[in-house]
Amino acid sequence: MSVKPIRQQFADTMLSVGQEDHQLIVMVGDISHFRLQPFAKACPGRFYNIGICEPTMVSMAAGLSKVGMFPVAHTIAPFLLERSFEQIKLGFCYQKLGGTLITVGSAFDYSNLGCTHHCYNDAALFKFLEGTQVLFPGSAIEFDVLFRQTYRNEFLTLLRIPEYGHRQEIKTQQIRLGKGIKIRDGKDVTLIITAPHLDHAIHAAQALSTNGWECEIIYLPTLWPLDEDLIYKSVQKTRRVLVVEEHVRTGGLGSDVVYLTRDIPDVHSAFLCIPDQFIREYGSYQEHCERLGFSPDGIARKVQASFKKY
Amino acid sequence: MINKHLRREIVRMVYENRDGHIPSAFSIVDIIELLYRSYLKFDPKNPLWPGRDYFILSKGHGCLALYVVLKERSILTDEHLRMFCTSKGILGEHPDCTKVPGVEASTGSLGHGLSMAVGMALGLRIQNKSNRIFVLVGDGECHEGTVWEAANVSNNLQLGNLAVIVDWNGSAAQLMPRDDLEAKWKAFGWNTMVVNGHSQEELNQAFEKISFEPTGAPTVILAKTVKGKGVEMLEGHGTWHHRIPTEQEVKMIMEVLV
Repeated sequence: MSVKPIRQQFADTMLSVGQEDHQLIVMVGDISHFRLQPFAKACPGRFYNIGICEPTMVSMAAGLSKVGMFPVAHTIAPFLLERSFEQIKLGFCYQKLGGTLITVGSAFDYSNLGCTHHCYNDAALFKFLEGTQVLFPGSAIEFDVLFRQTYRNEFLTLLRIPEYGHRQEIKTQQIRLGKGIKIRDGKDVTLIITAPHLDHAIHAAQALSTNGWECEIIYLPTLWPLDEDLIYKSVQKTRRVLVVEEHVRTGGLGSDVVYLTRDIPDVHSAFLCIPDQFIREYGSYQEHCERLGFSPDGIARKVQASFKKY
Repeated sequence: MINKHLRREIVRMVYENRDGHIPSAFSIVDIIELLYRSYLKFDPKNPLWPGRDYFILSKGHGCLALYVVLKERSILTDEHLRMFCTSKGILGEHPDCTKVPGVEASTGSLGHGLSMAVGMALGLRIQNKSNRIFVLVGDGECHEGTVWEAANVSNNLQLGNLAVIVDWNGSAAQLMPRDDLEAKWKAFGWNTMVVNGHSQEELNQAFEKISFEPTGAPTVILAKTVKGKGVEMLEGHGTWHHRIPTEQEVKMIMEVLV
């Protein structure tokens, strides 16, 4: 089955929404320019390749929001988020303005470009700001549905586009802002999974079931706000939880899950995440994943090494 | 000297409420007073009136000047001013647009207001609206890289509905003396004027010259000002930047401002 790249869906969604909603404005920092030409042609005067000045692009997005437009600002994650962090904090959050920031270069997607082009602390940066949402779609349909559900609301929304999605079929009606999706029922261990690693988790769960582990898989297209109810009930049942995320440990989903489940007795938690360090190695995205344990085997080993079977 | 009554109000607020930047406010109060009296379209009964012009005080620490003008224009009340920097008040040492009617942007950290205004100017133009945008930035603020990013972008987008006033009071040159702001703004393609920022006549001439054509070059007015203007002991770049006057000093200041 061929899978539509999420980045292409971004361009298609902008075109489709932009033709209906004349308040949608898209600004890019000299990236995805060609991909967005259909939007630019169909929506004249509402596409701007601003140039290489990300902080100003973010502030401009806030200004557009101030006068009633629905802005999208888009470029490579570290430049849009880390370089422009004060613009995000003050331009949007302090002024209580909504808008959408869409990044490419999720985590270590740009695996050969070095740490200047990596960003694995984005959710942490966003979550502690007032009035934010963090979405991490793992397939084209998730991007499309979540964008439509959020781009006009009063929050500042981060949409993190991964280069590699999963290959599972997620149905439109399953995709709701702030809601996780239970992919598989199980009683022994909860696997909390984010965008690219859903396939790995399913394969790992199949392998583990032959060893007597019944894994429950919870898939989270929304990282913030957290689907507290779904996660809490699952962990209450299994008492074992492994969180898999392409994010550093500090401020990541793992800490959110531990905090959420702190009053459930005898919970054992494990984390498959990025250490709080730069990834200085080169190599393909897949090689990085293998090394860090983001693989079916890595997930299965982590489960067996972290938890005892009662 | 003009606007002695506004300067007296500023000193009173700082003295009674024990905080505030007097010289920064004295530097810009004549500019803001004139803008609100003669140029900005607004409705004091409805500060969010969609037809209004937008004024953004990017150098937020000069906000006392804005507060006293907003009070004079009946957008704020004397009660608001009396509650400056108190827990139940809405006015702080930097303006918060989520609290203060008539304030368009929450500022304080320098180098944000102009970039935001560029987005507003673009958004208004896209919607074929004729509202105008005025942004007041400090000359020290022009040390910030984002000011020049925004200057570059707004010239390239030809945002003629945008006007910047630089409070050129010499703060910048204290640290970086090579500050030929006129050459810099011209180099960025802006319509550039240099005026005496305490002269109503010169400011009027400059404001009248701005065409606000929606697709022309943006305009910058470099207003030569004096930090602490109007009271000799406050003028310049010394300790008065963020100092509260004593009772004796207030008496001396008020005598000058009679």
